[in-house]
Amino acid sequence: MLFNSLTFALFLPVVFIFYWSVNKKSLKIQNILLLGSSYFFYSCWDWRFLFLLIFSTLLDFFSGIQIEKAKSQYQKKFWFWLSIIVNLGFLGIFKYFNFFAESLKDLISIFGFQVNIWSLQVILPIGISFYTFHGLSYVIDIYKNRIKAEKNFIDYALFVSYFPLLVAGPIERATHLLPQIKKKRNFNYEQAVDGLRQILWGLFKKIVIADNCAIQANLIFNNSTEYSGSTLAIGAIFFAFQIYGDFSGYSDIALGVSRLFGIELLQNFSFPYFSRDIAEFWRRWHISLSSWFKDYLYIPLGGSKGGRWGQVRNTFAVFLVSGFWHGANWTFIIWGLLNAIYFLPLLLLNKNRSHIEIVALESKLPSIKEFVMMVTTFTFTVLAWIFFRAKNVKHALQFISGIFSKSFFSLPTERPTYLILLILLFIVIEWLGRRNKYALEKLEFQYNTFFRWSMYMIIIVFVFIFGAREQEFIYFQF
Amino acid sequence: MKRFLLRVLLFSLVFFALDKLFYIFLFIAPKLEEDHRLELLLNGKINKELIVMGSSRGAYNIIAEQIEKETGKTAYNISYAGSNVQFHLFLLKTLLKFNNKPKTIVLSLDNPYEFLYVKTFDYRYDKMYPLEKYNYINDELIRLDDKSKFSKIFCLARLNRNSFNFRKKGVTKESPILECGSMPFSIESGKNNFKFDDKKVRYPVKEELKDKKKAFLEFQKICKENNIKLIYCLAPNFRVYNSTLEHRIKDISLPENRFFVYDTTDFRYKKIEYFHDESHLNIRGAKLFTSELSKFINLNK
Repeated sequence: MLFNSLTFALFLPVVFIFYWSVNKKSLKIQNILLLGSSYFFYSCWDWRFLFLLIFSTLLDFFSGIQIEKAKSQYQKKFWFWLSIIVNLGFLGIFKYFNFFAESLKDLISIFGFQVNIWSLQVILPIGISFYTFHGLSYVIDIYKNRIKAEKNFIDYALFVSYFPLLVAGPIERATHLLPQIKKKRNFNYEQAVDGLRQILWGLFKKIVIADNCAIQANLIFNNSTEYSGSTLAIGAIFFAFQIYGDFSGYSDIALGVSRLFGIELLQNFSFPYFSRDIAEFWRRWHISLSSWFKDYLYIPLGGSKGGRWGQVRNTFAVFLVSGFWHGANWTFIIWGLLNAIYFLPLLLLNKNRSHIEIVALESKLPSIKEFVMMVTTFTFTVLAWIFFRAKNVKHALQFISGIFSKSFFSLPTERPTYLILLILLFIVIEWLGRRNKYALEKLEFQYNTFFRWSMYMIIIVFVFIFGAREQEFIYFQF
Repeated sequence: MKRFLLRVLLFSLVFFALDKLFYIFLFIAPKLEEDHRLELLLNGKINKELIVMGSSRGAYNIIAEQIEKETGKTAYNISYAGSNVQFHLFLLKTLLKFNNKPKTIVLSLDNPYEFLYVKTFDYRYDKMYPLEKYNYINDELIRLDDKSKFSKIFCLARLNRNSFNFRKKGVTKESPILECGSMPFSIESGKNNFKFDDKKVRYPVKEELKDKKKAFLEFQKICKENNIKLIYCLAPNFRVYNSTLEHRIKDISLPENRFFVYDTTDFRYKKIEYFHDESHLNIRGAKLFTSELSKFINLNK
């Protein structure tokens, strides 16, 4: 059930009305209803994997309680490692087994031996990377005595399986989401309206921007040998907007849907393409994952305490693991590595926290220096995205060498005017709304009802006219 | 909560009304097309004894009105350039649903691409979009996952950005559409920089697409069920004839179907004067080829 499908458009109002019309707004019944809806939502993809989700939930729930109850360090460690190994084991089997098997086969073949290694013919359970990380952070937090174990299974299961974030995040923390699940929720008109507005903006990003960019990006990436350098460059830019529109659009819809139920999720994107350096980009792109890696990998590895060398090592580790988290392919690892390399000069010069606030906070336009910095950061990001999108490393290298050829200075053969105009319109709207959580957030306070409704109507018209096929979200595959 | 629901309801009603205004674009779209054949098909206006189907090689190389004169059978051509066998199947189903069933269908085959993947042979969605006001077309697009189910409710979901392009679309001056549906190329429009290719090209059997073969088998099954005589037809390319596809088709063809191949010994098919380009005849070549086809039809009455 995709967020941009008719099925979801029917599912959401039904759950919403039942949820708020529960007798005396009973929190318990509301949570049961949300959990049941979440399991239904998940089973619409493949009901068989629902058992895996429930098993993972049960394991972490009981592990958490056992860790807290443990009388000895040995018992505590036992439950902790049981949960970690089983969770990562599932992730490893479903997501990485074939990658390791293939890599081993390639390695052996270098020495002249040919072996047949068994490979798994199984589809990746949707959302496994996200709900596994939910469970992991929960168990680690209990082990580190940061939080108490949750005793109510329904509440915990809802924390793991809450449908707006179940398949592609944001990756929530128990400290942020569980208290909201346990607190009585009352309907808030402003919050619900804002939720709908954020859903609408998310749909625009996904259907109008991402899906239309996808058509061009797929065409150019799938036939990259036939195109000039300038067309390849434009293809890479289309992909940059595709992935941003797709993933941040998904996140906006998820956050908006959740607000309809009175639950605030973590912000996942904050106008990353307006970043002035790569460090700022990573504070604004997939924020929930970046902060997860910071808290559960970077800091446990020593963070910035181990001197400059330690800091560099830990930063590289985080980027490499982050790349690998995205998918079992060398392209993602190189993508991570490239970002780490981009990050390195900032780290060495101690400038990785130079830009905390959004660009041009007090002015309408950026300064020339800021503009150049934004364009440079965007260019480096686009270059890295080529690895993210390419079929394999060879394809990515061919693509890049194609860009840096003489034909870079020719006119691109694929340059759909309508799409370029749409992207420009999108950039302008995002720029105007860059001080908010999402571009349309403050619309309520700036304009009257007629103007606002007209804006919404125009956006919906765009969504219908520029949207056709229901296309999956890129991050579902992770 | 009540206020919220009321506002949402009011907004939905306003949007619903606005959406219906967009029906005008659905209404205008078919009128902007110069090729009305699919719409005629939907309106049950193609009640002929013989129907020509296929891709560009059917549209440009076979002149239906000439067949009419030479065989005495009423004929119409609903071949679409760049269309694949799946689209031909859709046309056949549409033809049978809304029109009297023909006695004979001539299916022009693409040698050697009938079952192979080629970028230029596709399901002609673009021919269907202007006819989105017809529920039948919309349902087909939904079935093909090209339109969302929202289009059952909202006019807007049936539109796309081409709906706002008000220029006439469809037919070029070099191959005007005749009343019989055929679109032969004029002699003047042809290229003159191509040569006869006398190399035999290997036919990659392993690269055949299952979906195309499945559609092909269904096509002949429907013809059999409706008692329609099916004639497969191979028009000349400006190259030496390769019979592999002919054998592939004969292997899976039902015994009652007929197979017509142009006269591969006729020297005129090696002359550039009869061709528009490497794959299509011009009107002079089309007349020659059509007369051959008519003779074959007369012999197989």
